Amino acid sequence: MAEARRRTWLPATLGGRTAFWLVVALMAVQAAGLTIHALDRVDLQRWIHAREIAGRAFSAWRAAVLSPPDRREQMLADLDLPDAIQAEISRTPLVRQGGPPPPPEMIRLFRLDALSSGPPRLRPREVRLGPNRPGGGFQASLRLPDGEWLNLRVQMPPPRPWHSATFLAAFLVMTGAAILLILWAVRRLMRPVRLLAAAADRLGRDVNAPPLDEAGPSEVATAARAFNQMAERIRRFVADRTQMLAAIGHDLRTPITRLRLRAEFMDDDEQRRKMLADLDEMEQMISATMAFARDDAAAEPASPIDIAALCRTVVDEAADARPELAEKITYEGPERLTARARPVALKRALANLVSNALTYGGAARLRLSTGEGGMVRLEIEDDGPGIAEAEIERVFQPFQRLEESRNRETGGTGLGLTIARNILRAHGGDVVLRNRPGGGLTAVASLPG
Amino acid sequence: MEPAPHILVVDDDREIRDLLSRFLEKQGMRVTAARDAREARKLWPLGRYHLVVLDLMMPGEPGLDFARWLRSQSEVPIVILTAMGEETDRIVGLELGADDYVAKPFNPRELLARIRAVLRRANGEGPSKEPPAKVIRFAGWTLEPARRRLLNPDGAEVSLTGGEYELLQVLVERPNRVLTRDMLMDILRGRQAGPFDRAIDVAVSRLRRKLEDDGRNPTLIKTVRGGGYVLAATVERG
Ligand SMILES: Nc1ncnc2c1ncn2[C@@H]1O[C@H](COP(=O)(O)OP(=O)(O)OP(=O)(O)O)[C@@H](O)[C@H]1O
Ligand SMILES: [Mg+2]
Repeated sequence: MAEARRRTWLPATLGGRTAFWLVVALMAVQAAGLTIHALDRVDLQRWIHAREIAGRAFSAWRAAVLSPPDRREQMLADLDLPDAIQAEISRTPLVRQGGPPPPPEMIRLFRLDALSSGPPRLRPREVRLGPNRPGGGFQASLRLPDGEWLNLRVQMPPPRPWHSATFLAAFLVMTGAAILLILWAVRRLMRPVRLLAAAADRLGRDVNAPPLDEAGPSEVATAARAFNQMAERIRRFVADRTQMLAAIGHDLRTPITRLRLRAEFMDDDEQRRKMLADLDEMEQMISATMAFARDDAAAEPASPIDIAALCRTVVDEAADARPELAEKITYEGPERLTARARPVALKRALANLVSNALTYGGAARLRLSTGEGGMVRLEIEDDGPGIAEAEIERVFQPFQRLEESRNRETGGTGLGLTIARNILRAHGGDVVLRNRPGGGLTAVASLPG
Repeated sequence: MEPAPHILVVDDDREIRDLLSRFLEKQGMRVTAARDAREARKLWPLGRYHLVVLDLMMPGEPGLDFARWLRSQSEVPIVILTAMGEETDRIVGLELGADDYVAKPFNPRELLARIRAVLRRANGEGPSKEPPAKVIRFAGWTLEPARRRLLNPDGAEVSLTGGEYELLQVLVERPNRVLTRDMLMDILRGRQAGPFDRAIDVAVSRLRRKLEDDGRNPTLIKTVRGGGYVLAATVERG
């Protein structure tokens, strides 16, 4: 797990990513929809405006035609034309003869071709049309019967696509609802994946973890079934191996017992002592191997135990076993600290750590405290050389012993740390080793309180 | 001088049977050996045995069944041989009324020490004629002999070293009786595999700590002037 994760701005979880892309897609679709809507609306607005303006322009023309020349100005003023239309009576036309015509879409929009239709009485004598330069629209000069011109300057009002506030609010609410729906659906969709991950995690801790529920949609059911079959195969494999080791351990019991009895009949005291010591070592190795193989920690039920008393027992037994180091074996911590644990297994784990501290570090200072979140923290400190950082995880692997300890003939199987870690992990805790800056090693074990 | 104690050894391995017989005979005991539970049943009425050493792992009739049968026949002390790590066998065995256990592969001297201790208790030392207690309660504390564990008043297990446990057991078997250091040494020596050279005082002070008994002003394990200790508590057996 040393390699750094590839940096990414995407959310970390599959669910998060799925939701992210769905929301992005939703946004794109919404944006497109919104654009279409806006364009459509702008079109409609233009059309309505054009109609209205055309109508007003026509009324301006009617007013001009129908009123006597001296009252025309007044009549036009009374019409109260909107800002978009400027109308004036003039002797000269606004639009030059032979200038460019207004854009064809303007002609279509304002139905400008209809100007020269209508009853002859109202028809202008001459119509000149041209574009309205700044701002768009058009200009028209219509000649009145008496030769004066009505000059019209018509502007298109700027389009207002976001005219309605309620529309925007409704749109936002809809988008929000869609996003919530996406998040909910993705969570539901990811549930089987989460369950599978949790089951795999449980299996990693305990091969006898209960199987996955094989119900649900067919893909999920298939995955669950495959997972359960895999778990079953692993279980069988572990069981076979365990049984084999247990059988070996069982079969070795008889010859060791016989040898011990035989040693009692040896005359040479020195040889007998050595033989018994060898047999003790053999028994230790077998019992460690069996404890490792059978994973006793998992079988023992957890119950409330006083961790402080357990620490004292471990420390006192270590001091009894190595009276020469008794001074250097200490306990520091509360008088009483209750937690749920498997007493035999936990004691074994602590004894292994203390024994390492004594064998390789010449001292064992056990400290008990409660850390954050009610975690129980156990530290075992020694005064030894520590372990090279590169090896500090490797020593947890079964049968791994460092070169120096192999040469030193300290005996040992290389299972002590493996078993200690297995036990603490089975409790939901862990154990790690740390070199202290000033020298010496600290084993830190943690345990949920 | 008491007659040599007569031991019935039941073990399926011929070599172990023979070697163990020779070993125990060398220590001044009389030994009869049986190959399995069937043979042991046949031998049972033919002799007067002071103690039975019973291997729980035997082909044929399980050792536990034989132990149960034996208990129904007599009060003879039983020391069981269990496989190491087989907690349940050991617990069931002790609950059935076996007096002690040794894990196989055993150390012959440890077995010898246990045999001697059990014999001594059977000879009127202590109240071992009573049926074995499943739980022993005193001052809020609970001792479960079959599981060799102590529970504090909150029900949490308080771990004890072998020596502390033996000492506590001796004390609760003789509540409110003054036990001198010598008496304690004498009783405990037989129980420990190695020489019980830890000063009794150290063991007592450790045990007081575990029992949360103030060492300077103890109320549970009191020091008696002139050198001795007494467990000041009412002990209930059940
Ligand atoms: N406190 C320590 N200081 C230095 N090295 C250590 C320490 N603890 C462990 N080690 C190294 O880690 C190795 C593995 O330790 P582990 O306890 O797993 O096995 P072991 O002690 O060799 O054998 P055993 O199974 O008897 O415990 C040891 O052989 C030793 O080299
Ligand atoms: Mg070790």
